[in-house]
Amino acid sequence: MADKPAVFLCSGCGIGDSLSMEGLSSTASSQSPDSTCRIHPALCSQEGLRLIVDGLSAGVTTIVIGACSPRVKQECFSYDGPAVVERVNLREHVAWTHEPGHPDTQAMAEDSLRMGIVRALKVSDIKPFTPEVSRTILVVGGGISGLSAALGAADAGSRVCLVEKSPSLGGWVTRLHRQYPKEPPFREPLETGIESLVKAAQAHPLIRILPSTIIEKIEGSPGMFDVTLNSAGASETIRVGAVIMATGFQPYDPDRLGHLGFGSHPDVITSVQMEQLASEGVIKRPSDGKTVQTAAFIQCAGQLDSDHLPYCSSFCCLTSLKQALYLTGNNAESKAYILYKHFRTPSLYEDFYRNAQESGSIFLSRTETPRIITAVDMLTVEAQDLLLNEKISLNVDLVVLATGMVPSPAPALNLAYRQGGELPELRYGFPDSHFICFPYETRRTGIYAAGCARQPMDSLSSREDAYGAAVKAIQCIEMVARGESVHPRAGDRSYPELYMPRCTQCKRCTEECPFGMYDEDSKFNPLPNPTRCRRCGICMGACPERIISFADYSVDITSSMIKAIEIPETDEEKPRILAFLCENDAYPALDMAGVRRMRFNPHTRIIPVRCLGSINMVCITDALSRGIDGVILVGCKHGDDYQCHNITGSELAETRIVKMKDTLDKLSLEAGRLRVVQLSLEEYGRLPAILDEFLESIVEIGPNPYKDL
Amino acid sequence: MVEITPEITDTLKLQGGRDLEHCYQCGTCTAVCPWNIQGTFSVRSLIHRSQLGLVDFSDEQIWKCVGCRSCVQACPRGVDIPAAVRSLRRVISEVGAGAIPRSLRTVAANLAGTGNPMGEAAEARSRWVEEAGIRSFTAGTGLLLFTCCYHALDNRCRRVALAMTEVLSAAQVDFGVLKDGLSCCGESIRKAGKEELFTTLASSNIRHLNEAGVRRILVGSPHCYNTLKDEYSEFGANFEVIHIVPFLDELISADKLTPPAAVNKKVAYHDSCCLGRYQGIYDEPRRILNSIPGLELLELPDNRANSLCCGGCSGGLWTESKSGERLSELRIKQAIDSGADTLAVSCPYCLIMFEDAVLTSGYEGRIEVRDVVELVNESVRGGEATSLR
Repeated sequence: MADKPAVFLCSGCGIGDSLSMEGLSSTASSQSPDSTCRIHPALCSQEGLRLIVDGLSAGVTTIVIGACSPRVKQECFSYDGPAVVERVNLREHVAWTHEPGHPDTQAMAEDSLRMGIVRALKVSDIKPFTPEVSRTILVVGGGISGLSAALGAADAGSRVCLVEKSPSLGGWVTRLHRQYPKEPPFREPLETGIESLVKAAQAHPLIRILPSTIIEKIEGSPGMFDVTLNSAGASETIRVGAVIMATGFQPYDPDRLGHLGFGSHPDVITSVQMEQLASEGVIKRPSDGKTVQTAAFIQCAGQLDSDHLPYCSSFCCLTSLKQALYLTGNNAESKAYILYKHFRTPSLYEDFYRNAQESGSIFLSRTETPRIITAVDMLTVEAQDLLLNEKISLNVDLVVLATGMVPSPAPALNLAYRQGGELPELRYGFPDSHFICFPYETRRTGIYAAGCARQPMDSLSSREDAYGAAVKAIQCIEMVARGESVHPRAGDRSYPELYMPRCTQCKRCTEECPFGMYDEDSKFNPLPNPTRCRRCGICMGACPERIISFADYSVDITSSMIKAIEIPETDEEKPRILAFLCENDAYPALDMAGVRRMRFNPHTRIIPVRCLGSINMVCITDALSRGIDGVILVGCKHGDDYQCHNITGSELAETRIVKMKDTLDKLSLEAGRLRVVQLSLEEYGRLPAILDEFLESIVEIGPNPYKDL
Repeated sequence: MVEITPEITDTLKLQGGRDLEHCYQCGTCTAVCPWNIQGTFSVRSLIHRSQLGLVDFSDEQIWKCVGCRSCVQACPRGVDIPAAVRSLRRVISEVGAGAIPRSLRTVAANLAGTGNPMGEAAEARSRWVEEAGIRSFTAGTGLLLFTCCYHALDNRCRRVALAMTEVLSAAQVDFGVLKDGLSCCGESIRKAGKEELFTTLASSNIRHLNEAGVRRILVGSPHCYNTLKDEYSEFGANFEVIHIVPFLDELISADKLTPPAAVNKKVAYHDSCCLGRYQGIYDEPRRILNSIPGLELLELPDNRANSLCCGGCSGGLWTESKSGERLSELRIKQAIDSGADTLAVSCPYCLIMFEDAVLTSGYEGRIEVRDVVELVNESVRGGEATSLR
């Protein structure tokens, strides 16, 4: 925007000992002849900061600060108003990681400064997208999670519309005879208390409850979802700002548990059926009404079994302890045998486990491959006891199969999104999220999964999960109203702008956006929904026509930065490596290496990116045709346990680079000039060596033939 | 295929394995059990078999546990494991579910016949009393000295009994003995599973003690101590029971007894299970030893609550174990490695086990085993060992 940038250089923290500040100052004036440059020994001191403020009051609107990493002292160097502030990392990435006073170190710093000045001059004004938002929250599902989310949001002052497909509220918890303890001292089974939760929701002035209602369609985007509801044939459309999906679970289908005797004898029941039996008093056999003396509880009836549910459902061990107490508590002569694979009673539930054991009639054994043999009036359980390494058998009156949880079947949301009507799922049907950093976030901005719809959990965890989701929903609406991204670039007010005249309707942006930001018109033109956007720039990386840009992040900015790198002639034997570092892990990892004064080669030039997925391949061809000898992309881990904040970004980049290598052949360039590396933050110690090894391999290949052209 | 039998579990619970089902099979007991230092003994598996009623009553492992309570103090569920093991032995002894080891059968027969495990005539029990010229207990005597069978009848242990009487006399304690009627306290045979025999011995002792008008009892063996103090109350007994170690500690603290002469020895003290883990008496014997001039007190590697059992409790004294697998030999090695010339004990079982181990492991002449009371008496007698009369 402005063409007279003010450059401020800090010589503190060892920068001045390592670099020639005068040299940097003349670099600034040769890069931008109109610029002014000030050097201060401690720019973050009051005196130093006043230099910058004075500049701003004098009407400067573009500031380049050459000092420490932009990840530190953010409070110091942030200013109200429209000024563009670009920070050049001279400390961690140059002075602290390279030989002081060496010409190569100086060259690295000067290139960094040139790139920073170019970038600052290219950034344009951000005009945030601030739509009129609805602050109502839609809660889908009226079980314990949905009720808790509704009450949590309403108690915080939000309007809530709670939609439940069945005629009554309360969900699975209403079918429980008792619940295992959810509060200190965690010893005795308790009343569920669900009725009072239902009443509280019904009585809340900010909660509107719609039973027997399904969602026909959800259109729009965060802050302005238009939801079409259908209550007994009558349609209604409401506008909401965010959605909490609390659609709960289904018990695993016991008909698939024939190997455990289900269906072959009336006295082989599931834990769901056991709740019904218990509510009728003394436990009696379904077959003939005889009082049950001995019962076997088979844990992991399907769970942790690759043929059924490979995951743990987390509540079943405690449920069986509770149900064993139903039996022994009502009949002192009775005995309960619990056969488990892994007995899991985390945290203070240990006290409940202990209490159940102390009741004196509950026996547990770790077994595998249980088999139920049925006779007319007798059931026999056979299993391999792993604690004795012997086959054991047990005659019982009742067998209870502790079945697990599967997510409720779709459709629930019926999203009118180009990428599909429901939330993108993981392998077992639960919604995908960034499990390390953002477990609540689904891959649809503004839609939060809570409770068993998100992952198997018990009712206490469901309640806590629901409150968390309620807060996330409120936060989303407020940030959207301010034109800000919700996460992971929280507070970012830029958003993608498309130069449609050059769009070829190739659909890469609409398909590759991990968050379903783009819809599509009938001619396949992308229709952006800015409030769904996470500002990752994956669409920008995908676009072959380079028509997608952010005001402060674009293909043009990156390419201009690359062009600002000075390329030494071949005979100088100073190779140049370009490193694109993901801002989430790789860039901070190099900062950490800097803080620990680790060394890496001075021939690498660093450009931070929002996500590896945001790198357009044209930037790489630009680099290579400029004479850069090699390009390395360092980003987050992908695969099943991905760490990419944008789910698919680092994986997409790898795919794109693999394809790119094919085209390198046509340019007579070696595929080895491109490399993609996965790195997580704690592996920061590896990063200097990764960069050095890459340089070595490039030296091996030889100089880029385009260098002297 | 073995069938889970709830009735066996019920029986074991009735026989004292009340908290069997509290066990959650973590295996800590097996990890801390001293028998696993050199051999293998899965306490965990024994408990799990009991929980499910899958016990093999002919399993010799049932007789291995000596009730040292190392496992009890480590168990996160607070299971009384020795009680659970005892319940198995009771079922064997009382119901005849399996075979009792031959050596235990002999001891049981002796106890039933003559009231002591050696099978000596009942009269032999008071022979040392007459030789030592100790007063008989009468209604006016303050304290009854209750003698352990080993203190009365074993040649080595009798020197401890004599030392005890000499120290008590030196401190001018008013005490007496009952020459007739008393028999073994029954502690070990109860742990070996003979509940009925124990009941007979205990009832007879209580009757004789009551008839003589005894209120305060001083004992020299920690086994007698635990039984008389904590178990006889099950049969309505109401005595004040004192062990010689805390009793001497109190005399010394109150300046009623001051060991005068130097005993120039390097002494390592071995905490017996019965006085240590059972009763928490750790400081008193050390204070006594430290009060003896010239005596240098050393600590063994496994001490106080982590003390290594001698292997003599709960019938271990009466059953044969192979040389090389004995805990007592391990302990003697520890004592020698610590630089001690004397291993001090406060229990006749430990004394017998360790003296035997000194011989079987070839350390004769390198270390001697002495009761704490003997060391005190040596000082009282001006540096001379207890006289053999």
